[in-house]
Amino acid sequence: MIKKEYKLALIKLVKFIVILLITDFVLGAISKQVFFSQETGKYARSTHAINETNAKVLVLGSSHAHRHYVPKVFEEELNTSSYNAGAEGQQLLYHAALQKMILKRTTPDLIILNIDEDFLYTSKEAYDRLSDLHPYYANHRRELKPILGLKSKLIGFKLFFRSYQTNSTIVHAIRYYASPQIDYKGYRPLFGKVKPSDSTDEILLNEEDKKIDQNFVKVLRDLIATAKNKKVNLVFVTSPTLQHVDNSKNISFTTIQEIAKKENIPLVDFFNSKQFVSQYKLFHDTSHLNNDGAELFTKLLADKIKRMKWINN
Amino acid sequence: MLFNSLEFFLFLCIVFVLYWFVVYKNHKFQNVLLLIASYVFYGWWDWRFLSLIALSTLTDYFVGFRIYQSKDKLTQKRWLWVSVLFNLGLLGFFKYYNFFIESWIDLSASVGYEFQNTWTLKVILPVGISFYTFQTLSYSIDIYRKKLKPTNDFIAFAAFVSFFPQLVAGPIERATNLVPQFLKKRKFTYQNFSTGIKLMIWGFFLKLVVADRAAIYVDAVYNNIENHDGLSFVVATVLFAFQIYGDFAGYSLIAIGTSKLFGFDLMTNFRRPYFAASVSEFWTRWHISLSTWFRDYLYIPLGGNRVGKMRWLYNLFVTFLISGLWHGANWTFIAWGALNGLYLIAEVLVNRKNRRGIINVLLTFILINFAWIFFRANSIDNAFYIIKTIFTTPGRLYIGSGDDIAALLYAILAIGILLFVETKKEYFNALLSISKNKYEVVRLTGYAVVVFMILYFGVFGKSQFIYFQF
Repeated sequence: MIKKEYKLALIKLVKFIVILLITDFVLGAISKQVFFSQETGKYARSTHAINETNAKVLVLGSSHAHRHYVPKVFEEELNTSSYNAGAEGQQLLYHAALQKMILKRTTPDLIILNIDEDFLYTSKEAYDRLSDLHPYYANHRRELKPILGLKSKLIGFKLFFRSYQTNSTIVHAIRYYASPQIDYKGYRPLFGKVKPSDSTDEILLNEEDKKIDQNFVKVLRDLIATAKNKKVNLVFVTSPTLQHVDNSKNISFTTIQEIAKKENIPLVDFFNSKQFVSQYKLFHDTSHLNNDGAELFTKLLADKIKRMKWINN
Repeated sequence: MLFNSLEFFLFLCIVFVLYWFVVYKNHKFQNVLLLIASYVFYGWWDWRFLSLIALSTLTDYFVGFRIYQSKDKLTQKRWLWVSVLFNLGLLGFFKYYNFFIESWIDLSASVGYEFQNTWTLKVILPVGISFYTFQTLSYSIDIYRKKLKPTNDFIAFAAFVSFFPQLVAGPIERATNLVPQFLKKRKFTYQNFSTGIKLMIWGFFLKLVVADRAAIYVDAVYNNIENHDGLSFVVATVLFAFQIYGDFAGYSLIAIGTSKLFGFDLMTNFRRPYFAASVSEFWTRWHISLSTWFRDYLYIPLGGNRVGKMRWLYNLFVTFLISGLWHGANWTFIAWGALNGLYLIAEVLVNRKNRRGIINVLLTFILINFAWIFFRANSIDNAFYIIKTIFTTPGRLYIGSGDDIAALLYAILAIGILLFVETKKEYFNALLSISKNKYEVVRLTGYAVVVFMILYFGVFGKSQFIYFQF
């Protein structure tokens, strides 16, 4: 009698799992189709960077990268192609994963990594936001597993389900179908000027409670090694600041400086650049350049790239 | 260990296999396994507090016998007080000590006496202490009331106190219902297995899709009240109503479903509460295990409604005031409990009980939501600020940007699905039931689609259950 119940439960469970897998396969395939058919928005930009771009100058980084580097200026000044793969709200783990996926398919001449001074400080968001990479897992398992594995050791099991790979992406897709988000080769300009009343004379950062996440240090070294292995020039760049910033006690930034020096990676430091400090007309807010500021900054950087011969043309 | 974690999934699979395939021949071995599993489950969070569960278990096991063996009523009563004082003492110290000290200091300061606060302690609130202390108390009280005989089987009793599916957030089981289930052989049945899995799937939907989606918008508004207007507070409060329902009813369903996998029947804890047509009816549908606990062990001993009208109203108010305090050591919970008490008093006075119809359902929903403002607000001052803003500055609806706007849309979608399912169950139960469809493939596909929705719309790796803090 009991054995009959076990058998019945097992048969029904197997049937349910089969139907679940079929449902996941069919609906998951539809949701992936919707995901990869996006033409604008953050996912469309990442997908373009991973699957399509052959740009010779590639920009990686957070919102500072996304909003500060104008591909058109690079193209005019350097006579080459460029794409801005900066992603708002993302941090080093994401950029390293993106770099690996892109370099699997194409080899740019130069990768510019925009450095945020707190890149190496512990950050829960840096791990949480890695879910933006889940849709690419099926095609880039080898590149993504080490980084996604930092968040969850069972990532392979979780991402077995297609529906989970595109979790929480449908609203984004619908939103940008209804109202496309225009970008210019990945760059989205900001307009308007910050008011002097919005800023203080100098930013004083409280560094005492902040700690370095050794995973981030490891990933940064890995990002450098990946570029070197693929023989791609890598440059670290810091974006201009509206106010004077003292980073001498910022362990994250000083560690990045040390790593760059040791690994022979150029670091172009625009923090506290005289051409930008207190130039309110060049900033959209206290942290981000407006379009005028971004064009000027990109031109100055392009001049430096030319002078230093970091690309071959 | 959280239900919404892969650790729990693996843990459940291992315990299930051991339970039905290794120690299945003797229910006493199964009880030992459940006891060990429950202590592992709880210890995963913090093993140090296992000692409190063990102490509570030992105390009530011993007290139960002493009450039963004592011949005179006075001695029985004294032993009962040992259990009451021990369990409420644990609860009082870990949950309320700092609250009462701080409240006393604040009160003294308000009348001009300044104390230096040197008495508060760094006390960690042990997860689930409000639940298991009430559950063990019910054992001693029921023996005192001669509804139950003490069990000789210590392992069965210890497993009853620490039964992992409902250890940290209920349902608060009665000893009269659950202890006898530990004392007899459990049989594996396909029916239990199937029902258990279905309840768990729907519980996960409520938690991961409804509650955790709503929580993103609710937190964005309630944790930054100075940046929001009345309309946003109204929307956030309605979303919170579904968040807390999804969170707690979801937990309860997972607990009931998990118990079924092991052959146990736990009591129903929620019965579509937002379809109640009066506040008194709401309390027969919401957190039923707690409201009946308070009814049986506080309200009725106070005299219930078999006393004069004033005393009856007093009994109602005191019961809800204490129920509010049970939820947390904060004046917001006390205000929430008091407000519900006042609602019930008003319903008695205007004879609003036993109402029907959609208007009464909506009115009750509004009253309940108004009370939720106190429950969710970070302080009493915040609650009054929110209420004032709702009535004076409707303003614009915050739709946020990025994650918040998506969260709002996902939450609305999830609540829409929940309301559709519950409306059908409440009013049209016989119509178009997928779970009762004659074709097996339709039934199984229905549940597979719910799992798909959990994987596609759910929030993963973000939060624990709200009621863990109570």
